[in-house]
Amino acid sequence: MDFQWDAEQRAFRDTVRSFLAENLPADWESLAHGPGSESQSAFSKTFCGALAKAGLLVPHWPKRWGGRDADAWTSFILAEEMWMAGEPRGGQYMNVNWIGPTLMRFGTEAQQDRYIPPIARGETIWCQGFSEPEAGSDLASLRTRAERCDGGYRLNGQKIWTSYAGHADTCFLLARTGIGKTGMSVFLVPMDTAGITVRQIPSVIGEGDIHEVFFDDVFVPADALLGAEGQAWEIARNALSLERVGIPRFALAARMLRRAVAALKKADRYGHGAVEQSARALAACEAARLYSYQIVDQRRHGTPTGPEASAARYATVMAERLVGEFVVEHCPDALAGGDPLLLAHHQRAIVAGIASGAAEIQLNLIATELLQLPREPR
Amino acid sequence: MDFTLTSDQSALLGALDRLVAPFESKPIDFHGFALVGSDLERELTEGEYFDIAQIPEMGALTAAMAVERLAWLPYTADIALSMLVRPHLPGDWPRPLAVVENGRPGRFVATARTLILIDGDDISLAQVTPDDVEPVDSLFAYPMGRLKRQPKATKLSAEDAATVRKWIRVALANEATGLIQAAIASAVEHLSVRKQFGRPLGAFQALRHRMAECAVLSGGVRWLALQAAATADDGDAALAALHAQDSATRIVYDLHQMLGAMGMTLEHPLHLWTYRLKALMSELGGRGGQSVAVAQHCFA
Ligand SMILES: Cc1cc2nc3c(=O)[nH]c(=O)nc-3n(C[C@H](O)[C@H](O)[C@H](O)COP(=O)(O)OP(=O)(O)OC[C@H]3O[C@@H](n4cnc5c(N)ncnc54)[C@H](O)[C@@H]3O)c2cc1C
Repeated sequence: MDFQWDAEQRAFRDTVRSFLAENLPADWESLAHGPGSESQSAFSKTFCGALAKAGLLVPHWPKRWGGRDADAWTSFILAEEMWMAGEPRGGQYMNVNWIGPTLMRFGTEAQQDRYIPPIARGETIWCQGFSEPEAGSDLASLRTRAERCDGGYRLNGQKIWTSYAGHADTCFLLARTGIGKTGMSVFLVPMDTAGITVRQIPSVIGEGDIHEVFFDDVFVPADALLGAEGQAWEIARNALSLERVGIPRFALAARMLRRAVAALKKADRYGHGAVEQSARALAACEAARLYSYQIVDQRRHGTPTGPEASAARYATVMAERLVGEFVVEHCPDALAGGDPLLLAHHQRAIVAGIASGAAEIQLNLIATELLQLPREPR
Repeated sequence: MDFTLTSDQSALLGALDRLVAPFESKPIDFHGFALVGSDLERELTEGEYFDIAQIPEMGALTAAMAVERLAWLPYTADIALSMLVRPHLPGDWPRPLAVVENGRPGRFVATARTLILIDGDDISLAQVTPDDVEPVDSLFAYPMGRLKRQPKATKLSAEDAATVRKWIRVALANEATGLIQAAIASAVEHLSVRKQFGRPLGAFQALRHRMAECAVLSGGVRWLALQAAATADDGDAALAALHAQDSATRIVYDLHQMLGAMGMTLEHPLHLWTYRLKALMSELGGRGGQSVAVAQHCFA
């Protein structure tokens, strides 16, 4: 066991930091910081293109797809630095974390040739069409239908909470081709297909993030199906496990906590209460960081990820919560025009326990798989 | 970064597993507060386990893992201070060790040969004889003792005092890790067999979620404690001790609540871990004290 970064890892982090210093615009920190906002989505294409040219977009991917087979630590260090900088990759972080790898694993050669290179060049945005109005945590109850027709499928239904849908080129869509968990399939759907309507949902979490997506008699050819009919549950589980510790939220949370404390100290307002709360919040960030590292380490050693991933996710939710609450209590001015960075962090932090699956579902998994408590009756 | 055990660490933990086998469960007829592990202590001494931090291939991190493992046991002895703090005392001081903080009764004080005396910001060391100290009855599941008279003490420099304080934090956090894990395991066992309303208590989501939250906290305490032992960083030590005391406060309450009246008995072993944790919660100023240290070292 070793808690130090080795020379190569330190050098890689420095490379990423230098890249950020050179490639982020001077007014970056005051840009609208919704990862799905107009300005950030547009910028992400220039930025990811440059990242790709510098070999920093998909270093953890196989050589065949433009990577260099770097280990799990490399991609995580990269993710930490990006998220900590306000995620200049915008929605494209999903592409490199799980969409690309999922296509590599389940896609046909034609699908891979069509979709992976644009991801590796940093020029395309995807969205994830899983949740529906009636299917949130209970994803398996989704209703969007994919009915076979001449040459392909006809899609009908509605998705909701779809991030980045307003800018996305392609949707990674879950739809029903039969009944139950084995009656769900994944379709790769170009967002400019006739019959798709996207509506942005005004929200407290910033511009351009969440959307409704309507599918009205949308025709997709048979080769839009990813994997086999009925394989969606397996594919989605695989994708979600890559996403569970995908975002190193603790890194930005800790940075924002330090920023808030520095502001309080400057204003001579860092009293007892703030000292105690900030210390607890920092401990929670550190716990989340090390928990996440445990999962990265498992990946690096090729060990299958166990229920610790749920614990890592929950620890991250607690860290986000404590930092968010600290700012609300001690630096309320930040949310009233005082600090665009703390505001942007707040908007991201509040969804930590909801986006990519409710925290309570993780608690269910921890109770059953980690603690081995008896299951709830169904 | 590498979170896998080295072969030395695995070997040591394997050897400890064998050594502690006779001490894994509470004697059925023991209905007291402090189950003192004199035989355990003797075996650890004979195996030279108290010196593992000084062995280069082992170091403080491996010693911390040993502290964690041994804290699972229902038996107790001065293990954490001897393994993790003693190597950092200036000069050679005999074990067992104990801390007397601002004159209060402390764990193992009545049987210690070296006392770490903390008075406000000052720390001094004293060798003591049995005449200097006496046992006190307490609710804590450690043998508690206090000073009868002020022994001749050597005051530490500010720098040495800071080092000792840091390693006490590391010791506390790693001991708490093992105690918390053992307490949770004990509660899981109870919740899996105790049935009410026709099903095991552990099948009620209200309790499953509380237990899961305790488990998440417990894992975090462990990582911070191990990190602090590995880096020997003042900030890491303060964070580890804070997270340990903070998490223990919540976990101890929750576990007792979930055990119902059974958790109030001396027959059930839960109190052996929870009433050790309660003793640790106040050390070095408790959460407030650790927070000030975190602010000093991490938000400078
Ligand atoms: C910012 C953001 C971005 C998102 N992006 C996407 C996206 O790009 N694509 C996509 O498909 N989805 C997306 N989602 C949706 C997200 O996956 C869902 O919000 C999530 O799965 C929870 O579903 P729900 O919101 O319908 O909550 P519900 O399922 O209605 O649950 C509400 C609450 O009830 C509790 N609860 C539910 N089930 C249980 C249970 N079994 N046990 C105990 N408690 C329970 C939990 O507290 C939960 O938070 C996004 C959500 C947010 C907030």
